[in-house]
Amino acid sequence: MSNEVKTKEKVDMDPKYIITLTVTLFITCVIVAGLLGLVNGVTAGPIAEINQQKTQEAMLAVVADPDNTTFSESPLENTQAMTDAASSAGGTLGDIYEVQVNGEAGGYAVTVSASGSQGTIEMMVGVDASGAVTGVSVINHSETSGIGTKVVGNEPTASGVGVLDQFVGKSAADGTLTVGTNVDAITGATVSTRGITTGVNAALAAVGAMG
Amino acid sequence: MNLGKQFKEGLITNNPVLVQVLGMCSTMAITTSFFNGLGMGISVLVILTLSNVIIAAIRKIIPDKIRIAMFIVVIAGFVTCVDLLIQAFVPALSESLGVFIPLIVVNCIILGRAEAFSYKNGVAASFFDGIFQGIGYTAVLLVMCIIREFLGAGTFGGGILNGGDGIRILPEQFPMGMLTLPVGGFLVLACLIAAMQWALSKSKNKEESK
Repeated sequence: MSNEVKTKEKVDMDPKYIITLTVTLFITCVIVAGLLGLVNGVTAGPIAEINQQKTQEAMLAVVADPDNTTFSESPLENTQAMTDAASSAGGTLGDIYEVQVNGEAGGYAVTVSASGSQGTIEMMVGVDASGAVTGVSVINHSETSGIGTKVVGNEPTASGVGVLDQFVGKSAADGTLTVGTNVDAITGATVSTRGITTGVNAALAAVGAMG
Repeated sequence: MNLGKQFKEGLITNNPVLVQVLGMCSTMAITTSFFNGLGMGISVLVILTLSNVIIAAIRKIIPDKIRIAMFIVVIAGFVTCVDLLIQAFVPALSESLGVFIPLIVVNCIILGRAEAFSYKNGVAASFFDGIFQGIGYTAVLLVMCIIREFLGAGTFGGGILNGGDGIRILPEQFPMGMLTLPVGGFLVLACLIAAMQWALSKSKNKEESK
């Protein structure tokens, strides 16, 4: 038994062989890494541009008057009070951009995320200067295709209003938004609707905490 | 090298999905619209061909003991390249395929062909193996996409035709949304594999009785 182990060790530990293994693997990794660097150099620009454009589009989708609206170039600084307000409402606060309507401060575009039925739903919530919601749009989600995606696609609820559109005009004065009392859910997609509702609550709370 | 035989193997007798039963995860997950299936199929075809060629080219210098590690490094390299290129130039596709592009790294078809074919065969044969196996994979994906999209959403060519909504074949109230869910994927795939096995065993019996 002990003999066997020794012979095995001898083969495995042959330094020349180990060096060959290491060097081959190392060289391959270096070549692959170099190749990736090249590709990344080509694609980094377009990818950043696309992400920027996506954020821009999401922001335009949530304001009342997209034609006359501009946004602050960089997000505002999130204070601890805002982050805490959002998390006590059940969501996670992302970037907040200032909205300017015809050059005047006209509210905020707030990125928040909240959990849906299959994962985190990342959304953009527009809030005007008076603290009322101007629009909700989903940026990223992993809801069930054909069920939760109805919510993301803003399909009408039983009352006939788009599930995302129903938030327009609501503000912190309406109290905490809750599915079933002041928010209608899409049949079969209650959990996804609840996720969006949590996000809107968090966004309103964060804007309220701005002071 | 026998191109005709390799082609037949990739598409039918040794089809990666229906006969080797490899790459199930992606097959099940993304075959909900025609565009997804085509994009995924072509991505896998490109990566499979490239990694097959490279692995066949360096197969003599790959030490046997670390061959799996070498395969994965080569495959992961190509997958990341393709992922970045898709993100940059076909953003719509990267949005709908999401995490399944990076997951091609562990798609068993690619590792399986590296181990079973390109590690033992020449560059040219491996190149064609990659293309034919890739076509076999894409063909199954497309068939599944067409069936699931038709029965599940009632449309054809979703993601490309008719401004991305697909051409409506069934009126909206008929489709069974269930088929676009994972459970529908299992059902459709099971039917396809059963049909394939039936056809294969039938043609085998015929050959034997000759």
